[in-house]
Amino acid sequence: MSTDLPVAPASAAVAAITAPESVPAGNPTGTVPRTLSEQSALGGHASRVQRVGRSLPFDDPRHLQAHHWLVDEAWLLDAQAYEDWLDLITEDVHYLMPVRVTTALGAGYDTARGMAHFDEDKYSLSRRVARFLTEHAWTEDPPSRLRHHLSNVRTFQADAPDHLVVESATLLFRNRGDVREGSFVSAGREDLLRLVDGRWKLARRVIMVDDSVMRMQNLAIFL
Amino acid sequence: MTDQTGVIGDVRRGMIPAHVYNDREIFELEKERVFSRAWVFVGHESEIAQPGDYVVRRVLEDSFIVTRDEQGEIRAHFNMCLHRGMQVCRAEVGNASHFRCPYHGWSYRNDGRIVGLPFHKDAYGGEAGFKRKGQRLLPAPNLATYNGMIFLSMDPDAPPLEEFLGDFRFYLDYYTKQSASGIELRGPQRWRVKANWKIGAENFAGDMYHTPQTHTSVVEIGLFREPKAEKRKDGATYWAGAGGGTTYKLPEGDLDERLRYVGYPQEMIERMKEQWSDDQLRVIGDDGFMISAASVYPNLSFVHNWPRVAESDDVLPFVSIRQWQPISEDETEVLSWFAVDAEAPEEFKALSYKAYLMCFGSTGMFEQDDVENWVSLTNTAAGSMARRLLLNSRMGILEDDRPVVPPLGPDAFHGPGEARTGYSEYNQRALLNHWADDLEKPPSKAATLEVGGPGEGAQDAAGRTSANADQISLPAGEAVAQA
Ligand code: FES
Ligand SMILES: [Fe+2]
Repeated sequence: MSTDLPVAPASAAVAAITAPESVPAGNPTGTVPRTLSEQSALGGHASRVQRVGRSLPFDDPRHLQAHHWLVDEAWLLDAQAYEDWLDLITEDVHYLMPVRVTTALGAGYDTARGMAHFDEDKYSLSRRVARFLTEHAWTEDPPSRLRHHLSNVRTFQADAPDHLVVESATLLFRNRGDVREGSFVSAGREDLLRLVDGRWKLARRVIMVDDSVMRMQNLAIFL
Repeated sequence: MTDQTGVIGDVRRGMIPAHVYNDREIFELEKERVFSRAWVFVGHESEIAQPGDYVVRRVLEDSFIVTRDEQGEIRAHFNMCLHRGMQVCRAEVGNASHFRCPYHGWSYRNDGRIVGLPFHKDAYGGEAGFKRKGQRLLPAPNLATYNGMIFLSMDPDAPPLEEFLGDFRFYLDYYTKQSASGIELRGPQRWRVKANWKIGAENFAGDMYHTPQTHTSVVEIGLFREPKAEKRKDGATYWAGAGGGTTYKLPEGDLDERLRYVGYPQEMIERMKEQWSDDQLRVIGDDGFMISAASVYPNLSFVHNWPRVAESDDVLPFVSIRQWQPISEDETEVLSWFAVDAEAPEEFKALSYKAYLMCFGSTGMFEQDDVENWVSLTNTAAGSMARRLLLNSRMGILEDDRPVVPPLGPDAFHGPGEARTGYSEYNQRALLNHWADDLEKPPSKAATLEVGGPGEGAQDAAGRTSANADQISLPAGEAVAQA
């Protein structure tokens, strides 16, 4: 039934997250670094599981589970419930947010080489979370008002069992105090979810932010 | 424009009119008198390592293509087409042998010479109407490098860069010359903060006093073991030439032990010993001081720190270079690079980068709290009450200007300039005194360039005639940046 439905073509945005080339494809051996996670300076430990095929139908239970997971996560991030959020993350996570650069159309890359905003493992994420839990993380005291708007979710099968690849768009609105206007971060994300003891956990996330110059005073947030 | 003599006088005695951190007229004056003459950092040679590599960087509103030409020479071209002023290069990074203007198609070699002018004969009557020969993109009035760091000055008569930097060069080597190969730079991360540019420059220059308070949280989570209040006041603060900075006092030990204490592997230490002068080594080995943050007037800063990067007691040092690029009186674009010695082992480079990301830059846990302070300060400085308030920036001096703590003697501190331990705002005052010097000095009028006119060829802003370029037609098949 659902296989007859028109499916979204592989778009440039998809390719941007997974590889500079036009078609996202698995590269499990990692002999030639193709994905941004592989190319990053600190992504050596990351899972290389990749998507397979086209996006799953929206009534596929796997898509429903992945979408549900992302919506729950967005609420946790809005509430800054970062300990609960850390529980949703695998021990081998790679959490990457490259620095975007403006390049000529034919340049073949649009991220800075060897530099990211986030290039995190579980340890560095845990330190960031631990800092917010101290009473002295002044940048979030008083806390920001946060809203992660989530959309454009689509789910893919992966080339390993108990994994899904999920793409989404996120628009974060952050407002502090009463003097300045709020600020936005818009990004596309590609997540690798892994089933661990019956729960989906985040094993890899690549965040393609849409700003080359961030318009936010700092990234004391997660996307 | 309002007479700022009062402001300058107050600043010189260490009393800062609070509105200087958010004042349109002051900012206009800074554009005219600070950034029109100072040497401003725009990048590092390692960012444009190959012929044709370029980055586009700004000095205030002026966009420059900073590129390495086919001869390997580093150049900075004003990013404006000589025809009708279109921005020639709209990418921020890339590699190109030529730049072609997207508007009418004039094209330029990466050394700036014009090579292609469509319908030159039909449109201008050839050389008789428009002297193509000798025309090139307007070069930055002044360009110089030190340790591979590229600086521009808008003043063709600026003093030589080395003279401008003066004795600060001694300290610059710790950040940028840890081996004969120097540093490689990655980044920058760029973000805009609603804060005045001077606040970051002052903070990095000498604000050891904020560390125990602002950065409590990073000590509490075990990331950093140093910024305890009593540790910071034991460090020396120095000012020399165009810049100054803070240091930490290291535990007892010899040179090697002290460099290992902050996480340098022995092979890097050996290269430092070859590279640095006896006095540079003595500051660490004998005096026991390790560089931390620093600023060079007007808006370039450095930081060197050594956090934990994993569940272990080991620490890893990193260096960051950053520029506080003014956008307006209440907005700054921060450009923050990670710098690492080019000869460092790959594993060190990776972990040092991790240390940088955790501590500084757009996501850094130190930087997050710094920026919060600076944005709030700038907001509060906007109104009329801030005009009634003279902030006390006299820490470290008594009412009669005598020092609270005398400077360190030559046996206690082997670096140039003046250094002392204890809390003080000597460096913030030194930076703002440079600022006051510039604000007092009227600008000189820049020469103009006439494009293809009846005069004797093109002149740059210095009034110097540019070198004659041969007429070359655009070779087919070569890479041309259309960006
Ligand atoms: S503006 Fe006409 S060619 Fe550039
Ligand atoms: Fe700080």
